[in-house]
Amino acid sequence: MKNKKRPLRWVRLDNAAKIYPAAIKRNWSNVFRQSMTLCEEVDAEILKSALDITVKRFPTIAARLRRGVFWYYLEQVEKAPRIRDEKSYPICFMSKDEMRKCAFRVIVYKERIAVEFFHSLTDGTGAMIFLKTLVAEYLEQKYNIEIPCENGILDRREKPKPEEIEDSFLKYAGKVAASRKDTNAWAMSGSIQTDGFLNLTCFTMPVKDALDLAHKYNVTLTVFISAVMMKALINLQNEKNPDITKHKRVKILIPVNLRSLFESKTLRNFAMFTVPEIDPRMGEFDFSEICKIIHHKMGLEVTPKNMASVIATNVNDEKNLLLRIVPLPIKNIVMKAVFNSVGEKKSCLSLSNLGAVKLPEIMMEYVKRIDFILGVQAAAPYNCGVISFKDTLYVNFIRNIKEPDLERHFFAVLREMGARVTVESNRNERC
Amino acid sequence: MYCINCGVRLCDTEKKCPLCNTVVYHPDIKQKDVTPLYPVNKYPKQKPPSRTFNGAVLFLFLIPVIISFISDMKVNGRVTWFGFVAGAMGLFYVAFALPLWFQKPNPVIFVPVNFGAIAIYLAYINFAINGDWFISFALPVTAGIGLIITTLVTLTRYIKKGWLYIFGGCVIGFGAFMLLVEWLLVLTFGISFYGWSFYPLVAFVLLGGMLIYLGINKSAREIMERKLFF
Repeated sequence: MKNKKRPLRWVRLDNAAKIYPAAIKRNWSNVFRQSMTLCEEVDAEILKSALDITVKRFPTIAARLRRGVFWYYLEQVEKAPRIRDEKSYPICFMSKDEMRKCAFRVIVYKERIAVEFFHSLTDGTGAMIFLKTLVAEYLEQKYNIEIPCENGILDRREKPKPEEIEDSFLKYAGKVAASRKDTNAWAMSGSIQTDGFLNLTCFTMPVKDALDLAHKYNVTLTVFISAVMMKALINLQNEKNPDITKHKRVKILIPVNLRSLFESKTLRNFAMFTVPEIDPRMGEFDFSEICKIIHHKMGLEVTPKNMASVIATNVNDEKNLLLRIVPLPIKNIVMKAVFNSVGEKKSCLSLSNLGAVKLPEIMMEYVKRIDFILGVQAAAPYNCGVISFKDTLYVNFIRNIKEPDLERHFFAVLREMGARVTVESNRNERC
Repeated sequence: MYCINCGVRLCDTEKKCPLCNTVVYHPDIKQKDVTPLYPVNKYPKQKPPSRTFNGAVLFLFLIPVIISFISDMKVNGRVTWFGFVAGAMGLFYVAFALPLWFQKPNPVIFVPVNFGAIAIYLAYINFAINGDWFISFALPVTAGIGLIITTLVTLTRYIKKGWLYIFGGCVIGFGAFMLLVEWLLVLTFGISFYGWSFYPLVAFVLLGGMLIYLGINKSAREIMERKLFF
């Protein structure tokens, strides 16, 4: 009897993912990285074997980007991609050619396992589930231990569930569409690294110290870090242009995990954002004022009803018949033009906090550190990923310009508060 | 280990402070031999320009050239107007398609190359129609414009400041070049000297002088910025 091959699974891009392939530029694509640093050097052979098993469980993440006539779509990869060596900087450019073969990378460096995802595949939460599951499978194979399927680790023997593959945006779109009207933000600038090098600066500090400081201002850790960033941006703009009357709005894009607001188990994109802002022309803002502004803005906007209306705005565009029947190349031109003129001008940078990562007890002793790094924006030179694991908070700044001005101001704000911050970077030979 | 300049606590992997670039050095403390956060000097391979795409572009350029050659031979039995078409297509190719073959085409090289191509094309036209204006007029004019534009491109590419001085100087240089153009016209074509070149000279000198003045005078620059951009 002939062994019949199962057809590869394919899915339409989810609502948030649709813009990313159209927005790709000659040297920029929307990619982010998550990594786990283990206590021992990684065995690439065992990792390859673990990856082969893991990819089957995640058909929408272990996927490649394909072109249809009207839309892009994702197709499950036949086999796991090869494991790559680390380069001198994270999130090297992922070309469309590469995405056509596989839209994620697995990279090994000493004790670190890193996975870089094209954002159309999944968001930070989905990516973390993939990484946890991959590392759990690796540890099981290497140390012959059994890791329970909890804290976001999926059972590799199970088949993918329909609720993990669904586009939750379509399910939870509200009846009323929110307005997209928004003001432009201050655009940071600097000397661009012409060779594509990305400068990574990682601040680490004890989670307890950060939480104590946040509680002092009666806010959450995300609000606290965002406030530090906002203050650093205000100070930086002040340094660049002391004339306060000419200052532009300082705005931070904070992604919101919608799974905490809606019942969803999807492994695909399901995040929206809120953009707190300050107009420095109004006068000097002290730190507690900034905390209050961000806290109240998030309180007002991060609600199921408000988010449903924001989702509805995007979903309505997707359902527009005229937009649907336009062939992909024309759609790409239009979407790219919209992305370039509107997309990233509405905030100075993104600050994404994945929160405290929890792992099963048995896994904790094997994992030393977890990092979350966003790629730079297409137009803005900075981005920032925040994550905490065990007792440490990791704040990863990435930039494609030479000057570390924002990091300097960020540290200065924390230093004034007496925080114990350690810094490390990826540019030992380039200074 | 702390940075002696900005006070941040540095990871053992750091050789310079990532925030202020201060070298980490203390004669009494021996730096530990630790693994850096990322491997040193390991960069992704730069993808070379696509040969297939560039070959296709070359082919597209060759189609009208070949068709022109066949038509010219069919109609006239020898090369007559084909040379002009081929030269024009060659010029377009050098200007727009040749840089595609290079990973990082340097305008400091390609700008003079373009002017060289223009000079060769003009030389061909001159000899094809038995003109005698190339050496005495077309060559010095092409070389002059090429020199000014190449200077402008080179200086703006390698000097990151003082662009107002650079542009101002080049504009004045272009004004002075107008005098040369009129003199060459008189010399080559035997027309009388009217002195029209003094008008563009005055206009260019005023414009260039204003740019240089704005470069020198900060308050005037700010006034202009306000008038023009707000």
